Amino acid sequence: MSPLAAPGTASEMTSRQRVELALAHEEADRLPLDLGGSAVTGMHCSTVYKLRQALDLDPPGTPVKVTEPFQMLGEIKPDLMDVLGVDVVGVGRIANMFGFPNAGWKEWRAFDVPLLVPGEFPTQREPNGDLLMYPCADRSVPASARMPATGFYFDGIVRQEPIDESKLDPADNAADFSVISDADLAHIAAEIERVAPSRRAIIADFGGMGFGDIAFVPGLATRHPKGIRDLEQWYMSLVTRPQYVYEVFERQLEIALETLKRAHAAVGDAITVAFITGADFGTQEGPFISPKVYRQLFKPFHVRINDWVHTHTNWKTFIHSCGSIWRLLDDIVDAGFDCLNPVQASAVDMDPAALKERYGDRITFWGGGIDTQHTLPFGTPQEIRAMVRERIEILGVGGGFVFNPIHNVQASVPVENVLALYDAVNEFRRYTRGGKST
Amino acid sequence: MSTIDELRAAVVEGQAALAVERTQAALDEGIPADALLQDGLMAAMREVGSLFEEGEIFVPEMLVAAHAMRASLETLRPHLVKAEVHATGKVAIGTVEGDLHDIGKNLAAMMLEGAGFEIEDLGTDVYPERFVEAARDGADIVAMSALLTTTMTNMERVVHAISDAGLRDKVRILIGGAPITQAYCDEIGADGYAKTAASAVRVARGLLGLDASDGPAAVVS
Repeated sequence: MSPLAAPGTASEMTSRQRVELALAHEEADRLPLDLGGSAVTGMHCSTVYKLRQALDLDPPGTPVKVTEPFQMLGEIKPDLMDVLGVDVVGVGRIANMFGFPNAGWKEWRAFDVPLLVPGEFPTQREPNGDLLMYPCADRSVPASARMPATGFYFDGIVRQEPIDESKLDPADNAADFSVISDADLAHIAAEIERVAPSRRAIIADFGGMGFGDIAFVPGLATRHPKGIRDLEQWYMSLVTRPQYVYEVFERQLEIALETLKRAHAAVGDAITVAFITGADFGTQEGPFISPKVYRQLFKPFHVRINDWVHTHTNWKTFIHSCGSIWRLLDDIVDAGFDCLNPVQASAVDMDPAALKERYGDRITFWGGGIDTQHTLPFGTPQEIRAMVRERIEILGVGGGFVFNPIHNVQASVPVENVLALYDAVNEFRRYTRGGKST
Repeated sequence: MSTIDELRAAVVEGQAALAVERTQAALDEGIPADALLQDGLMAAMREVGSLFEEGEIFVPEMLVAAHAMRASLETLRPHLVKAEVHATGKVAIGTVEGDLHDIGKNLAAMMLEGAGFEIEDLGTDVYPERFVEAARDGADIVAMSALLTTTMTNMERVVHAISDAGLRDKVRILIGGAPITQAYCDEIGADGYAKTAASAVRVARGLLGLDASDGPAAVVS
């Protein structure tokens, strides 16, 4: 029998309390919902525009801010959060993934919708229609990312110098990472103050902890990337140059721990969740890497980060990994993460019921609410409603579930499907009984 | 262990330098190039594909093996040309328009190459016209990859473009990628769907009417 039913009584719980109860594996008044709290739980700007229009939040033609220019995610403003009942809000460094600030907004039209992009965002297309992005908006160096003419977001451009094994220096790959600055900390503190009245749970991305995140390996914000930058070379290095990779991670860990220390001193327990890593360990059919490679190269660093956070703060830690990672999950959970995203139930071996049964008392599923490869973009509103209901029934029992689709909601998803998604969430998210998970 | 066995082991273990060295040694011993291709490289890559599908090895190990295979093939290629060893078939492969993801596409290309196919790598963000051109230029198979739900729909445009060009009967269309399913393959009228890079070989051979994995791997003229 479903623990959840249609909404009834008004909630007196704050969003933050709701999220914290879920993270404590207890049922709140209703299931918490994230949209836009992180770069992996957001929505493509064109879809945000269509959703805001459909909800009558803006006059037609009102531009949407692109707050994350790599994946072209749109701003989830407080009015949209209120309408949908969103419980989470995100904060992070001043610079975006390309190393320039999200400031000095200018209008730009793309994907058939009006947008606002940061002043240093390149809006001039190449002759073939592509958009090229430059590290730190510095056009004196080669571009670091490309959006194809008919694409919807950027991917890194590999700038790999010839590899001379005798000269490989882990410092080269580690050069992408830096301890969080005073300016960033002041910015984050101001952001926290700005969003505090909403009493939403805050997820903070202090940056630089995604050990081996393949999206960052090419060095999106690095002017002159050195070391291993080619994606295939990086993957191969995990088995052919493990010592090199380990030493890159050691340097990164040192920076990350200092960042965490400084961040905690600056924000204390104002935040609920710290975004740690978005390194993908899964493909559609199975893990990218063997459990052995995870244990040898990644887990030691994940353990160190999680241990530090749990020893010194009340924060919960967040890991994102797409794909089929069932075979790695014993170790990922054992490494101490509190939240797992995006819970790609559409991948092999990622059955929500099996995940909930095996790991549900130890990790919070932050995602997995709707299949975004088939059902959300191509299904009917009825199919969406049915899947949302089923996922909430399975994953929501006893807390330990924050509703989010699987990864960001992409462009080209019909707006009626997006509306059906959030209608269903709000129809089924209310817990009818409280109390601790048994 | 024979030199061919050593070559096979070197490829499976991803030891590129050793694979090249054993290839040259085998050629020096007078072992025919087509035997080295079939019993060495292709046998090795079949084993790699099986190990991958069984979950014994993963993407890094598969990439390392494929690179060793390629290194050996470079040494072998002039000898194959001289001996007039023909490819199993020609595959033109690319990631569809709007999509820059190529790890899966590259892995599939390497596995197909390791199965004796001639590969024309069209790269990423490949427009329909380019696939049509490849079909016109004699590809036996046009293979398309997509990672994204926003770009997979471009596969259907390619199928239509190939039909419109009057080439549909001349070429088989193979698709793959994370969001792709057999149902989608059927829906858009493609000929085959490969779930993994390793299975692309089996499907491609099937599309050309060859035995899925164990039959004669290359046609020797």
